[in-house]
Amino acid sequence: MKIILLRSLLLLGAFLCFGYVQAQQEITGTVSDNSGPLPGASVIEIGTTNGTQTDFDGNFTLSVAEGAQLKISYIGYLDTTLEASDSPISITLQEDAQALEEVVVVGYGSQNKKEITSAVVQLDAEEFNKGVVNSPAQLLQGKVAGLTIANRGGDPNGQSQIRLRGLSTTGANAEPLVVVDGIIGASLNNIDPNDIENINVLKDGSAAAIYGSRASSGVILVTTKKGRGDTTSFEYNGQASVSTISKSVDVMSTQEFIDAGGVNLGADNDWLDLVTQTGANYVNNFSVSGSTGSTNYRVSGNLRSTEGILRNSGFDQFNTRANINTKILDDRLSIGFNASYTNRKSEFGLTDGLRYGVLYNPTAPIYGVDSPFAFNSAQFGGYFEALGLFDSFNPVSIVEQNKNYGKRIEFLAGLNVKFAITDNLSVTGLYSKQNNTKRENQYYPTTSHYRGNATSTTKGRADFINEDFESDLFEIYGTYNPSISDKLTMGLTGGYSWQEQNEKRSTFAFADFPDASRDWSDNIFSSGAFQLGGVDRIGGGSYTRPDDRIIAFFSRVNMTWDNAIFFNASIRHEGSTRFGPDNKWGTFPAIGLGADLNKYLELKNVNLLKVRFGYGVTGALPFENGYSQEIFSFANVPPGSSETGWQTLGSGNRAPNPDLKWEEKHEINFGIEFGTDRLSAVLDIYNRDIEDFITDIAVETSVHPSGLMIGNAGRLNTKGIELTLNYDLIKNEKLTYNTGIVFSTYKSVLEENALGSATFRGNLGAPGQNDTNVVLVQEGEEIGQIIGAEWTGEVDANGSQTFVDIDGDGTIETEQTVEAYNEGDLTVLGKGIPDFELGWTNRVSIGNWDINAFFRGQFGHSLVNNYRVFFEPQVGSQTGYNFVNTELADSRIKTAKFSSHYVEKADFFRLDNLSVSYSFNLGEKTAKYIKGLSMNIAGQNLFTLTSYTGNDPEASLADIGSTDNGGRPARIDNPDPLVPGIDRRSNYFASRTFSVGLVAKF
Amino acid sequence: MKIKKIKDMKFIQKSKLFVGLISGFLVLGISCTDLEEDLQTELTEQINTEGTSPSSESGGNGGNGAGGAILAGPYSQLREGSANHGGYWSVQSVSTDEMAITQKGGDWYDGGIWIDVHKHTQGPTNGPVNDAWGQLYGGVNECNDKLSGTLSANEEAQIRTLRAFFFMRLVDMYGRVKIITTPGGNAPQSTRLEVYQFVESELLDVLGIAAVSPTMDLSGSDLTTGDDKYRINQFAALGVLAKLYLNAEVYSGTAMYQEAHDAADYIINNGGYTLVDASYEKNNLGARPGVDSDPEMLTGYATIFAPNNQNNPEIIWSIEFDAVTAGNMNYSQMTLHYSSQFSWNLQSQPWNGYVALEEFYNSYEDGDARKEINFIVGEQFDSGGNTIVDYSDSADPVLNYTPAVNELEPNAQRDGGTRLGKFSFEQFGKDNMNNDFPLVRLGEMYLIRAEGLARVSGDWSMAMADVNMLRTRAGVSAITSVTADTFLAERGREMFMETTRRSDLIRFGKWDDAWWEKAGGVGAHAELMPIPQEQIDASSGSLSQNPGY
Repeated sequence: MKIILLRSLLLLGAFLCFGYVQAQQEITGTVSDNSGPLPGASVIEIGTTNGTQTDFDGNFTLSVAEGAQLKISYIGYLDTTLEASDSPISITLQEDAQALEEVVVVGYGSQNKKEITSAVVQLDAEEFNKGVVNSPAQLLQGKVAGLTIANRGGDPNGQSQIRLRGLSTTGANAEPLVVVDGIIGASLNNIDPNDIENINVLKDGSAAAIYGSRASSGVILVTTKKGRGDTTSFEYNGQASVSTISKSVDVMSTQEFIDAGGVNLGADNDWLDLVTQTGANYVNNFSVSGSTGSTNYRVSGNLRSTEGILRNSGFDQFNTRANINTKILDDRLSIGFNASYTNRKSEFGLTDGLRYGVLYNPTAPIYGVDSPFAFNSAQFGGYFEALGLFDSFNPVSIVEQNKNYGKRIEFLAGLNVKFAITDNLSVTGLYSKQNNTKRENQYYPTTSHYRGNATSTTKGRADFINEDFESDLFEIYGTYNPSISDKLTMGLTGGYSWQEQNEKRSTFAFADFPDASRDWSDNIFSSGAFQLGGVDRIGGGSYTRPDDRIIAFFSRVNMTWDNAIFFNASIRHEGSTRFGPDNKWGTFPAIGLGADLNKYLELKNVNLLKVRFGYGVTGALPFENGYSQEIFSFANVPPGSSETGWQTLGSGNRAPNPDLKWEEKHEINFGIEFGTDRLSAVLDIYNRDIEDFITDIAVETSVHPSGLMIGNAGRLNTKGIELTLNYDLIKNEKLTYNTGIVFSTYKSVLEENALGSATFRGNLGAPGQNDTNVVLVQEGEEIGQIIGAEWTGEVDANGSQTFVDIDGDGTIETEQTVEAYNEGDLTVLGKGIPDFELGWTNRVSIGNWDINAFFRGQFGHSLVNNYRVFFEPQVGSQTGYNFVNTELADSRIKTAKFSSHYVEKADFFRLDNLSVSYSFNLGEKTAKYIKGLSMNIAGQNLFTLTSYTGNDPEASLADIGSTDNGGRPARIDNPDPLVPGIDRRSNYFASRTFSVGLVAKF
Repeated sequence: MKIKKIKDMKFIQKSKLFVGLISGFLVLGISCTDLEEDLQTELTEQINTEGTSPSSESGGNGGNGAGGAILAGPYSQLREGSANHGGYWSVQSVSTDEMAITQKGGDWYDGGIWIDVHKHTQGPTNGPVNDAWGQLYGGVNECNDKLSGTLSANEEAQIRTLRAFFFMRLVDMYGRVKIITTPGGNAPQSTRLEVYQFVESELLDVLGIAAVSPTMDLSGSDLTTGDDKYRINQFAALGVLAKLYLNAEVYSGTAMYQEAHDAADYIINNGGYTLVDASYEKNNLGARPGVDSDPEMLTGYATIFAPNNQNNPEIIWSIEFDAVTAGNMNYSQMTLHYSSQFSWNLQSQPWNGYVALEEFYNSYEDGDARKEINFIVGEQFDSGGNTIVDYSDSADPVLNYTPAVNELEPNAQRDGGTRLGKFSFEQFGKDNMNNDFPLVRLGEMYLIRAEGLARVSGDWSMAMADVNMLRTRAGVSAITSVTADTFLAERGREMFMETTRRSDLIRFGKWDDAWWEKAGGVGAHAELMPIPQEQIDASSGSLSQNPGY
């Protein structure tokens, strides 16, 4: 005992002496990896216990002995040793491909990346798209093989369409399930892109099955940023940008129009120019983060102000988020709290301003006083209107007279409590509440020809839409990691999930206002202002979704043998109120196997060669409630009719289906991951069979007058290949250049058609192309084929196109019918879904400069150019509209008829995103106050290589339907996924954006 | 090996602990597995408003035989497709020589469906043909639903008659259909003869007779003799039967012209209805303040179809249409040029679709009141009397409806063709018109009586007396000789737009003739419409296609 004590004292003394004798020096430095600063890296003076961790920005300060050796390490990276010389030092850690200890978030926990046996992609903040990104989905556009983010046009209020591995359902519910910080079904709209730490995409069924009946379209897991480091830091991120229209639709100039026989009304106006603007956008993000003791926190505030390229469109948004995590009871109890709030005021604008801006007579005057003939300007608020012409409205009047605005408030709070009962057994409870409200208003004054009924007896119109959505989620699950042997490790997870959603919606419309003197939508109830007279001047509706519940039991087991063989299995037993009484519950199993072959093959220069195989079953829920029950329609006929009173009609809008069950997707995924020091490659091959779509099933109208039942039918097979490559072309201290390619291709075949035999969908609509359906839906055929007659290139005496006699029978049958496809002269003119998609990332870093260039392309798809079909032929009776005048225009064509001429190849390759950022070297004094300062400039949608003559060659994955004469597109809220490939006239135009940004850390 | 086993045991024990723990949650959870769906917005049971509704049974303005709100549902189904664009009325009318929807350049091509219907080349996937099927079976279904509930004897008789009427339209259009008589029920596809026989037996049954004869006694019928135009009385049911018998030879192969005659004759003699002539007046609701030639009053034939035609003494049974409470008639939208909105100050811009055929228009002699009433022709003026200009036609901007149309497709003149004016428009009219649509009216009963008598006797001159009554009412001279062709032409002039022309041309063997741009010789199969492909697809093989399609 004495001896021990003595030795200790001696040692201590020696240490102290040593420390005293050796001159101490303070070393500061920055640790980063190829993509930026690395927080949390450990810095240790070799041979001592002296050490520290890098802060949030990768910086560290450490007092060490002179000439000491420092070891810098970080999980997943190769250790680096260096001599502590001149301060500051800059260290770039290299990834340790062999270890690959990267932790990836999966459902209900996380796993080492190496152990994952399914197709899971994690994208960290530095890999996100740069520039002005207003929605989280856009961060991922083009970055994940197999994930298509379709954001046609540049509508600042538009919603992205997200498709994972193509069409997962023929119903409307084709969007992936979103899970934010463990909260299922959290809204993506309630996250500012700047607050996202990383996004994981569970692509295949074996990964997604843990989420059961809602996971068929894939799962997107979003993790928001948490507080880190042991000091409080403040970060500001600001951007200012301008957006301009990137490409418009070519129409005739005034002179060309007059020469082509257009009706000359004497003026000369570029209507598109009159309704568009250069949008100015501002983004300001602030965040405070840090930790004290065992508590860490991060609070952020995000302000966004965006203007669209269409006048009077844009939004102002405030978002705030707080994440607080603490550990108590000897760190056994972790409590996490997060809350987010978003308040967005939108000016949706009148997108039809663009549509009519393209088509309006260029010789028409803006104002009625300039009319070449007697015109009652007062009736139209002073604006000119070409009366007597179908589907034609003064675009300037549309955007100046009318209002289309709204407000959305989203609030979410979540509490997460984890208790570690033992070192390897823990229980986690989660509760969250989400409350979203939405209000939309439209106001059309009495003088608006467009939707305002200026020519009618009941003038003006005000619309009110209110929505209130609530969601409660409660989950409890346990994880157990038994230690079994050195070779075998294991993890078990099991739990229960309960979720309830309620929704209320109401709409009101009022019409017939006294005059245009004021906005009467503010005065609907004011007494004496006007009386609500006739019944047809008021419209309204309301909807209440009942307690809509999803309840599930789930469990998962992970096993690893020899750190090289991996096994995962999961099962979820889940029920939903939306199903029929006998089919409430479904079971969704998954299994996965993987092996790191290189552990046994020991190939030279190869760090990783992993093969994996996964199989999983997932489902999809019905779009709405109540499909299993019989419902009745009813009406209350107001006084004045012989049928006054309540009427219950015997049948609702669909037949009941008590057997309704979930849609089922079986998916097999095979993947290979390969890595060397410089190259990493991931290849996934999958085969998915989706059956029992929840879809409209035709019922004989003689049996149920709706002709419709929501049931399970049909089968769709999709096969696809996805490849992700990353290569460090140049990798030295001065210059790094990393390039990556994301490639995906798939093919979907409708093996069994729920809609009966062949049908054509995708009605082009009025004027004149009603019942002109152009997309084939047929059993045994690929999804999305565009069907029509093939133009010979010649016209007849009438100026009509002549067509190829496909079947060679001497007669030309070119009506858009299935008969003409099967036996006549229609043929496949193109397909709406791309053959393959490509994303190409380039990241260059030279000294303080970082350059990011991201190219994206879609290849092999076609689009039906709706502006051209209707308005390019120089039809004698259409001289009141401008003529579309693309390079494909053929002045010989004098009649409008859909044909191959209007189906264009829309392959494109686009510089989607280019950003350059510069980090300032901060002087020592400055560095005390400012930890980091960088500036950046970025451009989005900079150039596009395409032969498509329309506004935007981006594939159209689902069809919003046709509209005319100022109406709303038929399926605007419920786009038809079976009809890809139609570029509608009601689409917002694509924009090009340039931005300047500043990032400062304090 | 042994060691491993022990480890396994330990593992199992630990696992048991874990499983137990999880089971604990599950037990906790099982009380929370309630997935009962309780709908709030949708009506999950029928609301019985009988007795609470102001028009129930004898109340309201329903009058004798009206029935309560319980009848409103089935009768309202008549408004589906009977007088609007896209379904029954459109197929039934555009397929004849009365009218067409011309393709006006980029306008109204609509995938060729209307050109097909006009030229009799429509296929089984033709949308309007399918829509008409749905509209008619929608009526059948609503009747079946109400018949499965509790009804008074009169209500039941009315709804059975109404259902028979829907089946009569079905047997006329499609022939081989399913006779479905229970709500949600199914039935095998019947022959055309069987459907005909079903309609006949239902009608005879509600009339309380075994057969139609001059001496029949309707006292056993549960139908009344009250005169509510929107409800079915004995004369309405008999009128439907008269129409059925007129076409019985087409439907069943057996002629029933005597019975058609007898039924029409009974209505004419006992119904108390009158042919309205110049002495019957109604305000002209379409009169333009700035156009002096617009008459203040409408008289005679015009009043039967005018916006204020309710309770017209010639109408036996009509579909109630009302701009606010009973919509779905919109001829003004369907036929008028966009700019004609300003002649009537219409609420919405019309669509410039339907035009009358030149030959049909010219079959009226000048001075025939029906020619003035049935068609809108010539230069158009707004309500202030100013010429209407079509700003999109710089060569000839004045809006002038001409009887001649240059072509059916593809570049028909935008203002070519006279427009359908019979169901006249009113000033400040809404998209939905107020005019009631007569299903059974006395004028047609005269034509049925005349044709029945002529065919039974084999002598068309026997039709002359009744025909001349209608001609006199129209202000044209009496005719002195009649042939099958002149009778058909006279019937056409009288019944324009009332959806009898298709059956008439078939009955007179003219259906496969050529007219204007419609070629002859399409084939006998075209006398029936195809069974819609959508219905065949949904029928699991229980429906088969009509021959020739």
